[in-house]
Formats: sequence, structure tokens, C-alpha cells
Amino acid sequence: MNLFRFAFAGLLASAATLAQAKPIAFSHGTTVMAEYGAGTMTEAQVFYAPKYFLSLGGGYLELESDIDHRRREITYARANYLLKRWNKEDSQANVFVWGGAGEAYVSELDQHQFAGNVGAQLDYETRRIYASVRTDLHRADAFSHRIDTLQLGIAPYKHDFDSLATWFVLQGRQYSGGIHDGTEWALLLRLFKRGAWVEAGVTGEGKLQAMAMVNF
Amino acid sequence: MKKLSFIAFALFIGAANAGTIEMKVYGLVCGFCAQGIEKTLRKNPATADVVVSLEHKLVAVATRDGQDISDADLTKALTDSGYDVKGIARTQRSLDDIRAELDRDKK
Repeated sequence: MNLFRFAFAGLLASAATLAQAKPIAFSHGTTVMAEYGAGTMTEAQVFYAPKYFLSLGGGYLELESDIDHRRREITYARANYLLKRWNKEDSQANVFVWGGAGEAYVSELDQHQFAGNVGAQLDYETRRIYASVRTDLHRADAFSHRIDTLQLGIAPYKHDFDSLATWFVLQGRQYSGGIHDGTEWALLLRLFKRGAWVEAGVTGEGKLQAMAMVNF
Repeated sequence: MKKLSFIAFALFIGAANAGTIEMKVYGLVCGFCAQGIEKTLRKNPATADVVVSLEHKLVAVATRDGQDISDADLTKALTDSGYDVKGIARTQRSLDDIRAELDRDKK
């Protein structure tokens, strides 16, 4: 059932945002993203950007505690906003913020509750290095979970507009609210070309971490 | 200084020409993100073709015969895509020439 809901949310997406990339791809662009986070989190998002600094859409997030197996199934609508961008000759940096609301299923209470979501991301990239920090808070009466993600990436070569980009990314992620103890580290291989993006790797515990995204 | 060099170069080679517009653009670091530029420019009815080079911070547009796109419209298109335009020049190079030059640079 959960898998079905996740697949449904992913299919609903017909275009979108970037999970650990950028929450807004480009003006009049649609982003569809799906992420599998080592069995702890699963997320699908679809966003449309009417402006380069704003995207609107929604998503589905499932969190499952690897401590006591409590589960949250959160469906949300969200607005992403580019607060500040620095365009330099060989680099770009961004500050994004977002906020939204939706409904969360709380497994231990067998209840659906109103849930809010806020977050922010700071990123910096050249054609050879990439760094981002991201915080994403989901809150309801029964829970408060913050997902903090750090990514550091290095590209073995400089890609160009029509060529395949290859990145090696180190990811560190922490969950608050009893989802996961400690920092979950993962090594990822990221590939993208034009509007298609895939990345996959393993966590320190040997679990799969993967994401796919399409922009159009 | 780089900006001045670019403009001087563009004015020199573009003195007698129409049909190709070359723009120097800052913030072009990711092909995944820069595709919005191509998409936006191709929507303009005067656009015949578009070339984007991250290596050269270059966005080049070939316009249809007898048509042009104003600097203001080009700047707006790039700004609305989230990038900064640092120079615009009309040149004699065709987009095929530019592609060939970019290919040579890759080798």
C-alpha cells in the first residue's frame, strides 16, 4: 500500500524540483523527483515554476523509524522561493526557502493530522565542486521531524551543456524525532544530462540511497 | 577587464553582421539548470537556433532571416531564467561555426 502511494505520487509528477539539487529548476519548468533514502525516508515531488525564483507543487514523504518502526506518511503542498542567487563567472550560489502544509498519517496513533513543513537550502557550485546544506522540518501535533542534509560533491571533469555530467557526492544526513540515531553517511554517484538526473549509492550501513529527477 | 575584452572582441567581429547574437552569461555552471535558457529563447518566434556553452559562458542565438531580438528582450529572457548577462554582441559567426569551434576546443 505504501509502495503504491509512493508510486502514485511519483506518477502524478509530470515535471519538477530538486531534492538535494535546487528546489526550483528554471522558469516555466516542471520537475518530477523521486528519492529512496536507505529505507528511512521515501519522497516524491512535483513542482512547476512560473518564475525562476518560485515553484509550486506538492509531494509525498514517508518516514519510517529504524529505531521503533513508527511511520509517518505525509502528503503536502509546498511553495519554494529563491531568496537570493549569486551568479559569478565560474560559480553560482543560492539560498532557497520553502513552506507548505498537508496531512500526515501517524502510525502509532492510527490517525491523520494536519502537518506543516518549512525548510531552507544553501548551495554553492562550480563545474567541479558542489556543496549544499539543507534543512527540512515536518511537524504535526504528534511529531516534529527535521531532516538535515549535507552534500559535498566533486566532478572528475567539467561537463558542458550537451554532455554527461558525472559527480561523486558524499552525503551526511541526520533525522530528529526518533527516526534514526546518529548521522547517516552515503557515497553517491550522480549523473545528469540536460533534463535527466539519476544518482545512487550506499550508506555506511550498506543500504541503498537513490534519486531520480526529470526537468522539462 | 574580461568584460571589456569580450565586448571589444564582439564589436570587432560583429561589425558587419546580423543573424547571430552572442551573449556572455554568468552563473552557467550546470547543464541541468541552464536548459531553461534554451527553452526560453526557443519560444521567441525570431529564434532559429540556440547554442549554450558552459565552458565559454556563452549563449548564442541565430535569428530567422530579417528578424532580430532586442537587447532588452534578450536580457529579460536571461534574467527571467535566473542568470546575469554580461555582454551582448551581434556577430558574423554562424551557429555551425560556433559549434565547430566548441568541438575543436573540446579536443
